[in-house]
Amino acid sequence: MGNQYQDTGWFMIALTLLMVTFILINIYRAHGGKDLYIRRIAGLNAIDEAVGRATEMGRPVLMVPGLTDTTVNAKTMQAINIFAYVSRVAARFGNPILVCCYNASTYTVAQEIIRDVYQQEGLADQFDVDSVRFISDRQFAFAAGVSGLILREKAAATFFMGEFYAESLILAETANSVGAIQVASSTELTQTPFFIAACDYVLIGDEFYAASAFLTRQPVLVGSLIGQDWCKLAIIALVVMGTIANTIQQRGEISKEFKKGQMVDLPKPRQIKQSDTFFSHLLKADPADVKIEREKLPASELPTPSGGGSK
Amino acid sequence: MNFLLDIDPKTFWNAPNGSFELYAKIFIALILAVAATVGMLYAPPQLRKWIIRLVTFGSGLFYVMFWLFPAPIDRQPTSAPRNAVETFSFWVSDSQLVVASLTNVISGFLIGLGIYSLLRVHLGRIAKQQRDWAFSAVLVGSMVVMVFFGFGDWIQHQDPKNFILADQKNWGLINYGRDLLFDGLLQNMDAGMFSIVAFYILSAAYRAFRARSVEATILLLTALLVILSLMGVVEFLWSGFIDKISPTNFGMHAFVQSFKLSAMSGWLRSNVQTPAIRGIDFGVGIGLLAMGLRLWLSLEKTGGEG
Repeated sequence: MGNQYQDTGWFMIALTLLMVTFILINIYRAHGGKDLYIRRIAGLNAIDEAVGRATEMGRPVLMVPGLTDTTVNAKTMQAINIFAYVSRVAARFGNPILVCCYNASTYTVAQEIIRDVYQQEGLADQFDVDSVRFISDRQFAFAAGVSGLILREKAAATFFMGEFYAESLILAETANSVGAIQVASSTELTQTPFFIAACDYVLIGDEFYAASAFLTRQPVLVGSLIGQDWCKLAIIALVVMGTIANTIQQRGEISKEFKKGQMVDLPKPRQIKQSDTFFSHLLKADPADVKIEREKLPASELPTPSGGGSK
Repeated sequence: MNFLLDIDPKTFWNAPNGSFELYAKIFIALILAVAATVGMLYAPPQLRKWIIRLVTFGSGLFYVMFWLFPAPIDRQPTSAPRNAVETFSFWVSDSQLVVASLTNVISGFLIGLGIYSLLRVHLGRIAKQQRDWAFSAVLVGSMVVMVFFGFGDWIQHQDPKNFILADQKNWGLINYGRDLLFDGLLQNMDAGMFSIVAFYILSAAYRAFRARSVEATILLLTALLVILSLMGVVEFLWSGFIDKISPTNFGMHAFVQSFKLSAMSGWLRSNVQTPAIRGIDFGVGIGLLAMGLRLWLSLEKTGGEG
């Protein structure tokens, strides 16, 4: 908890707060009606095409919002947001959908959101509660279950978005074997090459987070996306400044070095190392060892030897 | 068996096992949970929305505090806080375990919903004898058998008297059943599914590495280079050839030496691949920050309304 003051120092906290400010400022700007530009993303343009194709073929659209181990997190929510748009398009075309969930929390959230989408479209009676399914929370049992569904239902379009691991290629190749048009995105960078090899369209990196802004054009999302661009610019500026400063600084010599929160004299001057540079100190704190004398808790509040609250 | 709260050190959030204080706290928590659930069911939609926003903000604020509020330095289990700042930081630090447990409790309830979804789909299919109903029968049958043997084995292991189960000689039908189902079948089937990846890599690579465009050709060539650098015989022969024509590592020879397969693939990985991955990582991290911020402040409108 709060240990980053000891680890990365005040700078990373300040940088995080600066980024938060950038994002909030741009959300405010977008709310004010400012017209903000977003470039086209090929994978997202393909969504309508994929769902349209599934409708023509009379086969379902299958979606997997990743394999999040714990409860629903921001990555899963982003995947479900994209799937809400896909489901909306599918509902308009009257096309069946299948959402395969890896954990029960995702299943619950996805079912509620997709149900809402059908209600908003005035098609509540067309929503099939079994179209959102919990498959399994074991990685390869899930892969086997989803592969089986793809093969049996002959999915015409598949969307794999969110956290994927070793099962990514199993899912993508199975879908490829039934001729499904595939749009995928993995927040795990090691899996992105597999998706690129096996899928028709892949959202790389932060395109995944830009998707809902691109699809819905909600001011909050568009503003947030522009804020993200400002953050990236700030990081690029830092990288460039760091490279130049480190290159120049490492040409000199030092007679004192920073160690455990204080400057210590060196036996003899030496060439400046990367760890001695200004930017290195800025990003990695090296605090002094602190010993604090505190009073002891009263006996009634002391933890018991057997652990926990056990008597 | 100790099913109840067991957290160290003593805080507001726990109490000794079996004590009146513990049962009173559990009872109060249950009453509050039922009241909150009923309240949410009958609350007007607008009010419900605000309650959800408040709960989301409160939960997020806790973790913001957990990460940003300065941690107590050099804290011992017996240490008393020195001032208000430390009192708060001790409280946040101690409460985190409880907040994390709350998430686990909610997940526990949601697993029930997951099982309900599975049974609903598959029992319905069996009852109506729909297409592939036999697969559903296998799934439901496996689930019931696994639950029976799994829980039976787990309960036996909870009893301290059953430490003899560590030795396989003392196993009974339940223990052998669990071992056969979990270690003998499930684990091996998992491994079987994983091994399929090897074959899929081949078929996916075959499609991806066809030189259909400039980008695909660059991909093909770089992949070929990296693959060859990992093939011992090829690397050995090529390095031998380079060493023969350029035996030293100075001047022009150093330039020639850099054409060794390991040097080229190493350069590609550290100067092309790693910076690209770092760049993507920055974008993903910032995207996650923005998404988290929108969820925390309830700015996100789910449902993809256009």
